[in-house]
Amino acid sequence: MERIDQIKKEFFEHASQVSMPEQLENLRVRFLGRKGKVTEAFSMIKDIAPEIRPRFGSGLNQLKKELEAHYEELKKRLEDSAENDDMLDVTLPGRKTFPGRRHPLLKIADEIKDIFHSFGFTIEDGPEIETDHYNFEALNIPKSHPARAMQDTLYITEDVVLRTHTSPVQIRVMEERKPPIRMIAPGRVYRRDTPDATHSPFFHQVEGLVVGESVTFADLKGVIQAFAHRMFGKDARVRFRPSFFPFTEPSAEYDVWFNGRWMEISGAGMVHPNVFRAVGIDPEKYSGYAFGMGIDRVAMLKYDIRDIRLFFDNDMRFLRQF
Amino acid sequence: MKISYNWLKEYLDIDLSPEDLAEQITNAGLEVEEIITTVQAVNNVVVGKILSCEKHPDADKLSVCQVSDGKDTYQVICGAPNVAAGQSIPFAMVGAKLPVGLKIKKAKIRGVESMGMICSREELALEEHSEGIWALEDAPEAGTDFNEVLRKKSDVIFDLFITANRADCFSHIGIAREIAAFVGKEVRLPQFSLIEKSSRGIEQALSVKIEYKEGCPRYAARVIENVTVGPSPDWLVERLEAVGLRSINNIVDITNYVLYELGQPLHAFDYDTIEGAEIVVKGSKSGDTFVTLDDKERKLPENTVMICDAQKPVAIGGIMGGQNSEVSADTKTVLLESAYFDPRHIITSSRQLGLMTDASQRFEKGTDYAGVLFALDRAAALIAELGKGQVLQGFIDIYPEPIKETRVKLDLSRVNKILGSGLSDKEITELLSRVHLHYIKGEVTVPSYRHDIKQDIDLIEEVARLKNYDNLPTSVIEPLSLEQPIRNRELSYQAMRDALTRTGLQEVFTNSMISARQIIRFEEKEAVRILNPISDDLAYMRQSLFSGLLPVVSYNLNRHQKMIPVFEIGRIFNKSDGELPEQPTRVALALCGLRAPFNWAQKEEPVDFFDLKGILEDFFNEIHLDKVEFILYSDSSFYRKHHAAEIRINGKIAGTCGEINKETRKRFGINQPVFGAELDFELIEKNMKRELKYQTIPRFPYIEKDVAFVVDKTMAAEEVMGMIRKYGGRLLSDLHIFDIYEGEKIAAGKKSIAFRLRFQSLERTLKDSEVEHVFRKIIKKAESIHGIPIRDQ
Repeated sequence: MERIDQIKKEFFEHASQVSMPEQLENLRVRFLGRKGKVTEAFSMIKDIAPEIRPRFGSGLNQLKKELEAHYEELKKRLEDSAENDDMLDVTLPGRKTFPGRRHPLLKIADEIKDIFHSFGFTIEDGPEIETDHYNFEALNIPKSHPARAMQDTLYITEDVVLRTHTSPVQIRVMEERKPPIRMIAPGRVYRRDTPDATHSPFFHQVEGLVVGESVTFADLKGVIQAFAHRMFGKDARVRFRPSFFPFTEPSAEYDVWFNGRWMEISGAGMVHPNVFRAVGIDPEKYSGYAFGMGIDRVAMLKYDIRDIRLFFDNDMRFLRQF
Repeated sequence: MKISYNWLKEYLDIDLSPEDLAEQITNAGLEVEEIITTVQAVNNVVVGKILSCEKHPDADKLSVCQVSDGKDTYQVICGAPNVAAGQSIPFAMVGAKLPVGLKIKKAKIRGVESMGMICSREELALEEHSEGIWALEDAPEAGTDFNEVLRKKSDVIFDLFITANRADCFSHIGIAREIAAFVGKEVRLPQFSLIEKSSRGIEQALSVKIEYKEGCPRYAARVIENVTVGPSPDWLVERLEAVGLRSINNIVDITNYVLYELGQPLHAFDYDTIEGAEIVVKGSKSGDTFVTLDDKERKLPENTVMICDAQKPVAIGGIMGGQNSEVSADTKTVLLESAYFDPRHIITSSRQLGLMTDASQRFEKGTDYAGVLFALDRAAALIAELGKGQVLQGFIDIYPEPIKETRVKLDLSRVNKILGSGLSDKEITELLSRVHLHYIKGEVTVPSYRHDIKQDIDLIEEVARLKNYDNLPTSVIEPLSLEQPIRNRELSYQAMRDALTRTGLQEVFTNSMISARQIIRFEEKEAVRILNPISDDLAYMRQSLFSGLLPVVSYNLNRHQKMIPVFEIGRIFNKSDGELPEQPTRVALALCGLRAPFNWAQKEEPVDFFDLKGILEDFFNEIHLDKVEFILYSDSSFYRKHHAAEIRINGKIAGTCGEINKETRKRFGINQPVFGAELDFELIEKNMKRELKYQTIPRFPYIEKDVAFVVDKTMAAEEVMGMIRKYGGRLLSDLHIFDIYEGEKIAAGKKSIAFRLRFQSLERTLKDSEVEHVFRKIIKKAESIHGIPIRDQ
């Protein structure tokens, strides 16, 4: 029986030292494991005098229960302290994810596309290197027009140019399809401009074209007004001024009142009858309007960017802001 | 073009502020680029009268003046050589602040007190440099606020951008007509009387023949004799300066003045240089040359309109006069030309000559063919007056086929049909008549100066313009129409950009024009070259998006960016035999620097090939593209040898990916590894799955088995995987590589690849024995057929 007291004493001595999970495990193995002291004591039963055997047996059983209970309690205490006593430095920065972002200019192009798509416009595409025919001739821009001069247009051959506007897409679509037509065509265009803060030799436009049986100048004003509200907010006012483009008449420039000033967005007008004739659409039966807008310009306005070159330097510190 | 407000007032009674006038001009469709005010107001400056003027006792160049402001007399020291008693002058009193920034204080100059300053024009910011003080002519009485004098001198200059169609607006009369239409007033043409003082008739002095009427439909002339060539009077110099011209001499100044007044270019010849008293208008032959008055010998393009005398050409018609017949200080008799040249001829010759002048710019857009004689007489009268010449009796006007007035048919109902407006017929015709477009019985007669009005739409534009665009109705846009689906191309474009940004790539947007050094190509195709590039740096069209991406990598590395994962979607260009170059779209990406942003919890690791490949696999996965293969790509002209793959989609080559070779990246100034891929947008688009169908999720448990094979180091993992899949059959549902080992524990030249195989069925729970059977089969066949042993444990 002294053996039982001794095991118990030893167990509690060790138990009082336990502060780590490994120590607890050692304690278990040493006393309660397969070769542990309690198990060992049980195997001694057969060598014990029969008269004290029952008492010894029940004493041992009680010891085992007592030690196991204490073990479980220690275990729980340890687990609790592992859960609660470990303080995290929550001020350390987290592990970053790094999704990429869309280019700011193309984000604006996406917005413009979404707006016009919601107005029922299709989204079209055309080549960036164009024939003289599509870029000029079919748009009522005769050979003698100043825009065709070598100082403004980049030529590949005498009859092939880097398109100077997205308007050739109008012609390609009108050749392909019968009215009614309601389309926009975003894309890159080129001019022979030396780069500076406000000029880039390549920039981006969205062309719009609507052709139908009773399309009017009032519709054109309506669509631009609606676009301005969606793009620049409900307070955006639009102003139309007379202007001149060979492929529209009447022609207009339109400005949007944004951030306290009138900002020129681009040109628009009713499709010139000569343009309709060139693609075989009867100008007596159909009428239409066309408009263009500078994507770079809209993006510069919206983001308050003063230097167009920022878009094309592609500095990660710039691109990551949008 | 510059327009002077003062000058404009000669033809139109207007009393609008410069801002209001600018608004009217803008509404007319002429863009005001700048408003420049020429005179600034002054304070404490009055008209002063010099009562006396004596030498300063201690300074030779200074004078001591007594100046009256009408009430009191002040002593003022003046250094100007032209100061004299009796003059009326601008007198800046003590306390005045001048526009040039000068503050006038009481002063002592060489011991003599000075109570103010006598001003020059320079000090009042009226001119750049003055020689002396400003002695006023017709001065108001002493004491008058000087701003009253300045007001007469002050002017507002409008710098206008005039669109190519409005040739008639390139003059003060033209602008006055436009403003008049908007403010409801009438324009006054300049008033003058031309007295033909000479006793000679012009037929005694000159004959004119047009031999090239296609180029010159009308030629008129006058001769003025006994002319004194000399400086122009102040008013003329001021007018010309206001519009940015320099005064040359009275004769040339008058032709320029009339040009800016009426828009009709004129040319003055020295009559005595004209041989045979004859002008013949001819077309040039190829090879002809001519020395223009800027002393340049010019090769004439064929069919240039040439003004000739009996012997030789004396001017390029409508473009520039000749050196041989220029008006000089010695000119006694002036031959004055006023003509109408054919716009197309002028445009062609001017372009071919590379010579643009004030005259050619107007002729090429079309001048007022009916206004030729009025301008001729206006200039002749001015030459008679200012050059003290005598105008010969009569004039010459050769006009073989008078140009017919343009008449345009107009159906009034079409106006509202195009504009969406509800204007009455009366209002439409009234609006048109404001710009002298008179509607009579379905037809409108067009004034001779309006070359831009040719068909009904041009008249409809006039109505819209005069009504003011902002006063025309605006429709409310129709609600969403569902008939317009987004095209596949656009959908694919958006899906690809979504997928690429999700993998962590930043979208960039680069120039498609590049330098010869930037050219990168994957096919043997020639680059498209620009005939007239802005510079050598922008002379070619890119043949690969890498031409733009590598500079982006380099740019950001130079700015100490540590993580550069980028992509771009855009067109590339290859020369082709077709009408236009090939312009396919490409998707390209580049990776350089660190794998993840700097963070305390992660190690800084550079990207490698498998980051690139992982992104590509994720990308393909995201856009639902299967049947993609990566095959070793051995061309090392762009990629590092044996570090690149060709990508095939459904067996078709869709692009390449890999580590860019050292030579290429060094060319772009990049000193660390860069990985990249370029793919064919159209091919991907064609193979993208658009209709997604649900796949059953397995319900039954799986069994996993691991095995490692020892293979030759050069053997592709894909090959071993193919073999395992083949023998694994339907029960093998997944296969992963979890370890690659090379080293001392296995034979040299070999590597061990460890696989985890997952067996699973959609229909039932698999039995251990059947999985074991398949697993054993794979190992056995690998050994017996492929000679691939498993790694010893």
